[in-house]
Amino acid sequence: MSLKIAVCIKPVPDPDYYDQITIDPVRKTITRAGIPTIINPVDKNALEAALQIKEQVGGTVTVITMAPPNGEESLREMLAMGADEACLLTDRAFGGADTLATSYTLAQGLKKLGNFDLVFTGTESADGATSQVPSQLAEWLGMAHLWNVSEIKLKEDQAEDKVQELQAKMKIENGYIEYEVKLPAVLAVSRDLNTPRFTSIMGVMKAKKKPLTVFTVNDVDVDRTLIGLDGSPTKAGAVFTPSLSRKGERLTGDLDEVVEQLLQKLRAAGINLEIKSSSQGGR
Amino acid sequence: MNFNFTDEQEMLRKAVREFVEAEIAPKAAEWDEKDECPVELFPKMGQMGITGIFVPEEYGGAGLGHVERAICLEEISRHSAGLGIALMTHHLGTDPILKFGTPEQKEKYLPDIASGKKIAGLSVTEPGGGSDFMGQKATGELKDGKWVINGRKCFITNSAVADVDLWIVNTGTNEKGRPLLSTFIIDKDTPGHKPGRKENKLGLRGSVTGEIICTDVELGPEQLLGKVGDGAKAGMGAIGEVGRAGMAAISVGVLGACLELAVKFANERILYGKPIAKLQAIQFDVAETRVEYEAARLLLYRAASMKDAGIPCANEFSIAKYYASEAACRAAKRIMDMMGGYGVINEYPIGRYLRDAQAIIPAGGTTHIQKMIIGANTLAGK
Amino acid sequence: MDIGAWKGIWVIAEQIEGTINSVSFELLGKAKQLKEQLKSSEPVTAVLLGSDIQGLADELGQYGAEEVIVIEHEKLAIFENDTYAAVLNDLIQERKPEIVLMGATAIGQDLAPMLGGILKTGVAAHCVDVNINEEGKFVAVVPAFGGKVLGDIFCPDHRPQMATLKPGILGEPVLDKNAVFKVTAYNAEESLKKVTGRVKAVGIYKNEIQGIPLEKAEVVVVGGWGIGSKENWSYIEELATLLGGAVGCTRPAVDENWAEGEHQMIGTSGKSVRPKVYIGAAVSGSTHHLCGMKDSGLVISINTDENAPIFDSSDVCIVADAAKFLPKLIERIKQA
Repeated sequence: MSLKIAVCIKPVPDPDYYDQITIDPVRKTITRAGIPTIINPVDKNALEAALQIKEQVGGTVTVITMAPPNGEESLREMLAMGADEACLLTDRAFGGADTLATSYTLAQGLKKLGNFDLVFTGTESADGATSQVPSQLAEWLGMAHLWNVSEIKLKEDQAEDKVQELQAKMKIENGYIEYEVKLPAVLAVSRDLNTPRFTSIMGVMKAKKKPLTVFTVNDVDVDRTLIGLDGSPTKAGAVFTPSLSRKGERLTGDLDEVVEQLLQKLRAAGINLEIKSSSQGGR
Repeated sequence: MNFNFTDEQEMLRKAVREFVEAEIAPKAAEWDEKDECPVELFPKMGQMGITGIFVPEEYGGAGLGHVERAICLEEISRHSAGLGIALMTHHLGTDPILKFGTPEQKEKYLPDIASGKKIAGLSVTEPGGGSDFMGQKATGELKDGKWVINGRKCFITNSAVADVDLWIVNTGTNEKGRPLLSTFIIDKDTPGHKPGRKENKLGLRGSVTGEIICTDVELGPEQLLGKVGDGAKAGMGAIGEVGRAGMAAISVGVLGACLELAVKFANERILYGKPIAKLQAIQFDVAETRVEYEAARLLLYRAASMKDAGIPCANEFSIAKYYASEAACRAAKRIMDMMGGYGVINEYPIGRYLRDAQAIIPAGGTTHIQKMIIGANTLAGK
Repeated sequence: MDIGAWKGIWVIAEQIEGTINSVSFELLGKAKQLKEQLKSSEPVTAVLLGSDIQGLADELGQYGAEEVIVIEHEKLAIFENDTYAAVLNDLIQERKPEIVLMGATAIGQDLAPMLGGILKTGVAAHCVDVNINEEGKFVAVVPAFGGKVLGDIFCPDHRPQMATLKPGILGEPVLDKNAVFKVTAYNAEESLKKVTGRVKAVGIYKNEIQGIPLEKAEVVVVGGWGIGSKENWSYIEELATLLGGAVGCTRPAVDENWAEGEHQMIGTSGKSVRPKVYIGAAVSGSTHHLCGMKDSGLVISINTDENAPIFDSSDVCIVADAAKFLPKLIERIKQA
């Protein structure tokens, strides 16, 4: 039945190092030197979803990213994991983009590569975590979309030998909504959807032979007023660190003494320490 | 001289590391404690391409070389040297089939070995002495067109778990009166072939080591690997360039683990109001360990590169194994001492690293044997 | 674009099966503040979509909406992004609000950017605050890198200026039973004709949540990775029950399957809580967790590591092994 599938990924600074990020007091800019770059973790769930669908009905999986030149490394990793081809959109002109301009640029890159039936993304990136690119990407592409997808079931139309529709669950607070979605569609997947496969050694060796295209601003059809800083309705202002510090009092003594001191503090804060009946207690 | 790994080798290392951190690291302490070989990991390592790393692609392997194999063993042994030796023995049993196998034998055994569906082993050492290779007492006699194998092997890794067991046995003497050794492929469950006692090892736990006994095991001629008399070449070739290589890589893994633990501990342990990393004595301990790690690594990958280039390198692997294994023992003790009281608490892995390093010494030839080989080669101008 | 023609502060409220998400009330309180800061005379307006929602308008009015636009239609019964966006797009283009606020709930995180994409305007996501600055400009404060960095976001040349905020970030909303407000209806029929049906809601399923919801609890007891085991996790649950509170957790406790689930997770990618008392046991205190509980009243932390970052953000610091300390605390409370 064969589907043409795309996966949008983003290289991000490794979240394990975020607590080390600081603001330069003089330049007032974010300093993140020395923090390694990794693929946004949930983007691997997106690629896994694409690969599983390819294994089910056949097709191709294209990975795309809008990134600085080092995005190529991340794309190679995705090719090693199993994608068939990759595309890097890289140019200074794309820089400084907010989600609207980023999704526009990605959409134009995808259109240049062909007509996709399915476009997968992760729900949000670890660094900005706006979670806005998937919905806006769908708008630019003129496709249906769902965000926060935790389950996907393709509807295989045996008679027409095509997949034109799928069923999916959107995770909401304390539950989900079930949808029927017509292809083509953009699906932003959550971590719950699947467990990404390991990249095998065979995959690593095959990756170097798979095509990786680099597009600069001149290689794609874009309206210059819609990309980069110019294409961003939101503008960034000052950056600062949140104030999270409190002056703490250290309780000293052996465990029993500390317990007593703590109980005093709880009473002083107005907590009633009588044993609660089970109907009032909660988890 | 290019001292860098290729981009693919770096990506390979990263892929293997991710697999190890998810599937091996969390369980390493448990395997050591229970002394169980995690056989369930072999098919998973098969999917990763690790079990068949140097098996040609046509048989389902990754079709790569010994540098890539060393990378896999190093990464795995950083967390479980026990699984490392089980895997390296699997590779050891694969090598003779690759070098001496007929197309039928390769077709029959290599795909399952590459995919990790079957575990391989190589049985050489006997109670009469492992270092005396040519003195094998196990016999293979041709009777009515069938080979009958009798003997007892000991200190064999993968003894109880190998599905494909390669035996080196004495099949007579040549015209000069020297022993004629031959290699036989014995499938597990062949009548008469049984694992015997299982040894309770000090280190490299997470692999099974023990006896295997053959009592009147009957094999068809298709189970003879190579020709009669090829056993010495098959066995020594495997041990020299695949066994020793594997043990060197495992040693480098243990060295890397010691170094990583040392750095973490030194940066976190606060004494006199600051991390002990600020103290010179600690810095010296870490520096010595670092140098040993870098040196062992260079010796290992130099030898592996030579093998991949088709250059004979038994001597170079001997040098690597001797240096890396002894360095791992020194490093483990040094870091254990550096950690003070914590070094002797079993919650910390340093005790396991020390035991593993010590258990590496007799595997693939003791340090004494390595020195004999290196000394003899050097004095002969090689 | 005639920026001056856009006036008014709107809150797109959210209801699921007849219950309005409390974030809508929180946003109305903020909208009122913005109106005062802007010295505007436009009524603070709430918009509610759904089916069978007549009675709900009053709640929105009592929480600060001066006008409530009710859009009722059976096709709006369950959230569909295409359907809701088609209706709101027409409404917003017709009425031209200058600021539109939404909750950064699952629905909000889909609908807000989608509207932003259709209207070609800026959306500031999961803001920690929104304000009017000294120059009279709308500024949104957004977190990045797990909350380690905050940044100001403006939308100077496009309208409406949109922003989403997570539930629990703003303060407790204020209810005024005597509030005076206007309720109007908007006919969605024309807008709905444009919906192609490529996204069709088939059903909605909600879990039953036992006990006090985390966001409403006066006491929150949080366990982190240092708890170490499922057995030890039971101390967290028992302590929460004894104190009449709720259980919270950090990401590792979810991954290890000690906690019930993600709904108990507190942090920038989880819930924001502001209980009277926060007790963190074996929590190290990474920024993204701290951002989720920084507005708590009394913060008590227990950790074996005297250098744990959480102690810099706590009022009461106890250096101890939670696995040893909690059972003693629990025993002692039972005797009280």
